[in-house]
Amino acid sequence: MSVGAQLSSARRPKWVHITMGVTLIVVAVALTVGWQYLAASSWVGREAGTLRWVIYFLGTLLFLLLIGGLTLMVLLLIREVRLNERQSNFVSAVTHELKTPVASLKLYLDTLQLRDLPESRREDFYRTMRQDLDRLHATINNVLNAAMYTDRPVVDPQPLDFAKLVRRSIDLTRTRHQLARAAFTYQGPDSLRLRGDAEALETAVLNLLDNAVKYSKEPSSVQVEVEVSANGDGQAHLRVRDHGVGMSRGHLRLIFNRFYRIGREVRRSHTGTGLGLFIVRSVVKGHRGTVSADSAGPDKGSTFTVTLPGVLDEATAGDQPSTAHG
Amino acid sequence: MARLLIVEDEKNLAKGMKFNFELEGYDVDVAGDGAEALEQLLAGTPASRYDLVLLDVMLPGIDGFEVADRLRKSGNFVPILMLTAKSLPDDVVHGLEAGADDYLAKPFDLPVLLARVKGLLRRRDWARGGAGEPDRARIGTAEVDFRNFQVRSGEQVFQLTLLEAMLLKLLVQNAGRVVSKGEILEKVWNVNADTETRAVDNFIVRLRRYLEPNPRFPKHLLTVRGAGYRLLPDA
Repeated sequence: MSVGAQLSSARRPKWVHITMGVTLIVVAVALTVGWQYLAASSWVGREAGTLRWVIYFLGTLLFLLLIGGLTLMVLLLIREVRLNERQSNFVSAVTHELKTPVASLKLYLDTLQLRDLPESRREDFYRTMRQDLDRLHATINNVLNAAMYTDRPVVDPQPLDFAKLVRRSIDLTRTRHQLARAAFTYQGPDSLRLRGDAEALETAVLNLLDNAVKYSKEPSSVQVEVEVSANGDGQAHLRVRDHGVGMSRGHLRLIFNRFYRIGREVRRSHTGTGLGLFIVRSVVKGHRGTVSADSAGPDKGSTFTVTLPGVLDEATAGDQPSTAHG
Repeated sequence: MARLLIVEDEKNLAKGMKFNFELEGYDVDVAGDGAEALEQLLAGTPASRYDLVLLDVMLPGIDGFEVADRLRKSGNFVPILMLTAKSLPDDVVHGLEAGADDYLAKPFDLPVLLARVKGLLRRRDWARGGAGEPDRARIGTAEVDFRNFQVRSGEQVFQLTLLEAMLLKLLVQNAGRVVSKGEILEKVWNVNADTETRAVDNFIVRLRRYLEPNPRFPKHLLTVRGAGYRLLPDA
């Protein structure tokens, strides 16, 4: 059997359900129109009493309710089908993200055990294993964070320096991906204080920066512009702009959904689980802020903008913009 | 020494496998995605440039199933060992039906991986007619040459895949006797005898197209209901 045939047969059931729902709606509409026609034509030439009018309107109302209910059900079904698809993609992605580093670690461990290797080779293998372990750790953190950060407001917001937090995250991302200094530019105040959950915000910022690197075209050409500002409206703004693969308009809103990943999982072109931006949105929402994405299209880079309320001592933050690398 | 192509987008895994197979004396190349793999496999040089392909399923661009499918459709029958993190029985069957010759789930044990590759190459040699094995057979008017996996039937020449050749060889060796589907699954596909798959039936249908004058009314390759299949070369 060909691969194509297998895939289409896996996709068929849900389309059957949706087509069935739509057909039912069409039938209900046809019944409504037909019933009205019959009711009206049987009354032609007769005097329309109050009872007839009541029956007529009641019938129409019930039919409309039926149509409305059916439409709602089909919409819910479509939503369910989509979530289901994303979930199975997620299982696939997490399976891959967990099993790949484990497979690699096992392979290198087996190799070290099986072969008599010179010291330099062993050092090289240890470094590789370290990378795999870091990746495994990151995936586990992502899955745990997605469960931990919900849209609910932060319980005990503490004063923190957001500008500093962003700069620290940039440093960490640069180290993690072994990037040149010039890969990131930072523009914004030295200090911008607001109330929030420092750990959650750092997770969110790190996820945004990580994405910017991940979806850049080549590791050597990573160019990410980070901008922090407070415009005197009591809100902090963070803008992360990359020159990477970008996305089409249709994906802009969807990418914040849980498990959402562009494309089919078996043809994965980027590592990840589809949780990163969901975590970002959850954390930002928990701070009563907003996050949005913008892109001029595929291959034209993306810009992510986060707005957070709760800026403290606005005066000092707003009037000393500085440009620093790093 | 045998030449391997490792198709794997995860750099660390590819590096580790290449290192080990080179120590075992194989000649190893690595392709980082499906398109690159197809390019290297279908390059102008003779179709049997590589002796074996280690194929990951989840690849950017063209996935492993499709690489296998396209490779087979273009007439390249290099043995494929599929490697993947997906290890549900459905995935195994899907892989085998797409044209893989063997299947190994990640994470794997290094000695198992090395043994599987060796085993697959040995099975290929067996099917080709290694030491003491018959390398030709006549079934009705069709002539089978196991050395190059070809069936000549009248004017037509058919190219067999490794699994087709192995299945035919098993039936030839047991000519006249009923061979059960379970035995075929174990000996040819290297999977559990009670695996749910139509793969064997599909292969039998294909073999009939090569061997039978009228595939819809087979005379040589018979289905024995509830028992298996029987080959009658001189019917």
